[in-house]
Amino acid sequence: MNNLRLLRHLQHVRYSKCLRWMASQHKRRPQLGQLPPDRLEQLRSDLFERRQELAGDEWLEVRRSLVDGHKHINTHNVDAVILGVCNKPSQLALAKNYVEFLRSQGSEPNAATLGRLLRVYNAAYHERPLSATEQAEILQICDTLQADHETLDASSCEHLIHGLVATNNDWQRALPLLQMVKITSTPSVAAYSALAGKAFSAEEQPENLDLAWRLLEEMASARKLPRCEVYLTLLDRLAKQPSQVPAQLRQLLQFLERHEILVSQRVAERLSKLAQQLPAHVLQAKVTQLGALGKCQACQQHLQPVAISDEQFRQLSECFLERVLIRSDVFQRSSPKEVTRFKKYVERTAPYDCVIDGLNVAYSTGTKKSPQQLAKLVATVVRHFREQDKRVLVLGREHMRNWSKQAMHYVQNNASLFLTSNLSQDDPFLLYATLRSGQDTDFFSRDLMRSHAFHLGPELKPIFRRWQQEHQFSLITQTQTGQIIVKEPIRHRLCAHEAADGTWHVPYCEAYTLNPTESFEVPAKWLCLKLRP
Amino acid sequence: MLKTLSRWRLGSQLLRSAAQTVRPASDASENSFAGPEDLPKKFVNPFSKPVPAASGAIEETKEDREKRLKVLQLEVDIAHQEGRRVPALSFMQDHHWEHVLTLPTKSARIKYFAYLWQIEMKKESEQRKRAQRAEDTQQRLAEVRKEREENTHIIYGLGHTSMFLRIYDSTINHWQNNRLTRAMQFAPKIVMDCSYDSHMNRREATYAAKQLMLCFAENRLNDEPFDLHFCNAQLEGSCMQGLKRFIPTMLNPEFPMNVHTQCFTELFPKQNLVYLTPHCREDLVTYNPDDIYIVGAMVDTMNNEPLSLAKAKRMGLRMARLPLDRYLQWGSGSGKSLTLNQMINIMLDLKNTGDWEAALKHVPRRKVVQGSEFQQRKERDSWSVGTRARKLNMRVDHLLDYVDDRRKVSSFETPKKLRERREGMEFQLDTWATGKQKKKQRNN
Repeated sequence: MNNLRLLRHLQHVRYSKCLRWMASQHKRRPQLGQLPPDRLEQLRSDLFERRQELAGDEWLEVRRSLVDGHKHINTHNVDAVILGVCNKPSQLALAKNYVEFLRSQGSEPNAATLGRLLRVYNAAYHERPLSATEQAEILQICDTLQADHETLDASSCEHLIHGLVATNNDWQRALPLLQMVKITSTPSVAAYSALAGKAFSAEEQPENLDLAWRLLEEMASARKLPRCEVYLTLLDRLAKQPSQVPAQLRQLLQFLERHEILVSQRVAERLSKLAQQLPAHVLQAKVTQLGALGKCQACQQHLQPVAISDEQFRQLSECFLERVLIRSDVFQRSSPKEVTRFKKYVERTAPYDCVIDGLNVAYSTGTKKSPQQLAKLVATVVRHFREQDKRVLVLGREHMRNWSKQAMHYVQNNASLFLTSNLSQDDPFLLYATLRSGQDTDFFSRDLMRSHAFHLGPELKPIFRRWQQEHQFSLITQTQTGQIIVKEPIRHRLCAHEAADGTWHVPYCEAYTLNPTESFEVPAKWLCLKLRP
Repeated sequence: MLKTLSRWRLGSQLLRSAAQTVRPASDASENSFAGPEDLPKKFVNPFSKPVPAASGAIEETKEDREKRLKVLQLEVDIAHQEGRRVPALSFMQDHHWEHVLTLPTKSARIKYFAYLWQIEMKKESEQRKRAQRAEDTQQRLAEVRKEREENTHIIYGLGHTSMFLRIYDSTINHWQNNRLTRAMQFAPKIVMDCSYDSHMNRREATYAAKQLMLCFAENRLNDEPFDLHFCNAQLEGSCMQGLKRFIPTMLNPEFPMNVHTQCFTELFPKQNLVYLTPHCREDLVTYNPDDIYIVGAMVDTMNNEPLSLAKAKRMGLRMARLPLDRYLQWGSGSGKSLTLNQMINIMLDLKNTGDWEAALKHVPRRKVVQGSEFQQRKERDSWSVGTRARKLNMRVDHLLDYVDDRRKVSSFETPKKLRERREGMEFQLDTWATGKQKKKQRNN
């Protein structure tokens, strides 16, 4: 199978690209927990998919072939490997048959094997509800596993959680297991999602709902995104109990707003269907796009502004210099003398309307330009703001003095100029000056400021990002005629939020990704919701 | 990487909170998600050993620690049963578990276990091969012994009667150490600054120890070695412990290695010191034997911060960097970082020849010429390499060097003469193998 894939690639891809791709094929090492693809397919298609049970000597044959054929499979791990292959819901009977075979041989299946068996039960549970005997079997396995050791390790706990979630009445036993996982590592997205989904779909008790929301909060604070299935389970439950819709839906939307989560398209479609099922005065949903200046095309309202509160702004500006510039060792980014000199300069010449990162602007059309062109670009940007009668601060480095005198004189005459030493980083100075000037000052740079956002810490990072979105101008390019094209900041919010009259605007993305990267673009698809208060 | 870095910080929070307070472990992990606002401002290396807490709290942490250790052992066992890349429990020893307990996240543990698993597999295969070889040797020896019994003559060869004097490794070592002691008296000094232990994780510290050992070895090998000083050496730190594993006699007074715990500013006058750091702007143009050059003994694969620059700025020392951009075409392969032994070799060649081109030959070629360009050259000029080219007398070495006027270059141009005196080298059939030479040559 692998060879066929290689051949197909060779036909499609160009020669030079293929060399590098082939090189990476050589370096790529398959994870050992899985068999190499062709052998897996062969085993699966020949035996496991067709049969529901195998005789004793057939199992022996399978075991022997695996142990002999692969260097990393030995008698200790062959059981778990076989159960790992039969992980489809339809292969539950086969898996149980194998465990019975092991017991008939006189050897008790080890903990890993039992754990993987629980996973097969879970896979079957997603297709059909399990019978009472099957649930009893699950409980028995859980008891066996928990009896051996007082504290279990993370992967066993996760197997147990998945097994218990497949039962009807005993899923509450999985909660202390979640705490047990936290001793050695953070619980996975799958475990959290399974438990939260079960709590949402379980019988009606308000504690279950609270529990589910608590789990979701924990997940989101650990920066793990809940899976689509959790939201879908909640929406299914709300479809059956329309009385709960306003409160629960509001809680969901506030949750999305607080953690700036984008749901997937499936969830959005389910929401629209829910809105269609319910009467119009309870919930209305419409798919929409954004027009100019953040205007929703459905309700013709502008989205809320992204400005941060004064308190948050004060917090940001106080902590900034300490956390980003000085950090552990001020000499890594600057020196103490320079920091004091800059502070005094800013006290003297503040407030500004815009702070420009001179080097970033100069090099934005290309790094191999002559110093005259670089200086001219800085001067053009300064003129752009001068024409609007704005006060500007330009930051740069000492070597900029050697650029074209004419352009630098223009800059000095029409703006404040501060040059750091050639070895210092100028970005923190830029952000400090902007913050010091007040809430209305913008800054001009193409840099995404990722390292500075990180160094501020997880509490201040979202505040910083919102402030950055509101105030960052960036230079797109310079046309032939010398005009510059500037990208203005996006002044409306980009996550789920509520307008003054109770309309919610919820953005959503194509599909669920485990670790979404930070996006600085406006989401393309939005849902406009009218919720009864 | 950002996510793992933040997890490291939270992990160190977890360890320190377990050490300091009596909170149970699960609470600690919940609180640590609140953010590192109460972290002290100094840099906390998540991989450094946790500072020992007050004795009252140690009892509690011991229990916690025991519990965690047991759970981790169970984790290894179960992962081994699943067939993942972890070593068998019998392979793991106490110092392995010590290190595992300091690792903050599950993914860090998985990588460490994969490393140990590789060692275990290599060891097993090595044992198998050794057993095989022992068998073969036994067979061979039996055959030779049988042969010898029939032989009445003297046996010549290595290990028996021979005219060659056996030169032992210790003789060579003594000879080289003697060179070093002479260097300590007369040669220019170079300092390796070993104060970066807290900025390296354990793996980087072991790499640094190996590179320091290679520095010492290559310095000793050279005809005119430097006087090498290891300053700011923290003898309990992982880097120096690793170095002691490589060179056990390192701290003996008679061993010609200068290890100092104090700083180089206390040993040498400040105006002679020059810190070599890649983050500054001035190139090192000429080598000055009166200057004492300092190389930071740091492996910074994970660290991006300009630590050596910061240190030099704080101490007010002169700084310089190697003129790599001026003499080399840097390829897109790996970054511009050089290992410590490559640095020492470059400085040695610079001292001995004064020529940057010769010195920078120690930079690995894979970093210099771009890989694809090299391959393209090889593929396009299939006429220029290989046996066909040799038969047609095509030489390309001079093509690959940088030539001022490329128009003069051609594949068929004869390169510089390989030998200076060609007079006696031409083939003369008349006098070949006769022992007589033509009168013309003898007069010359």
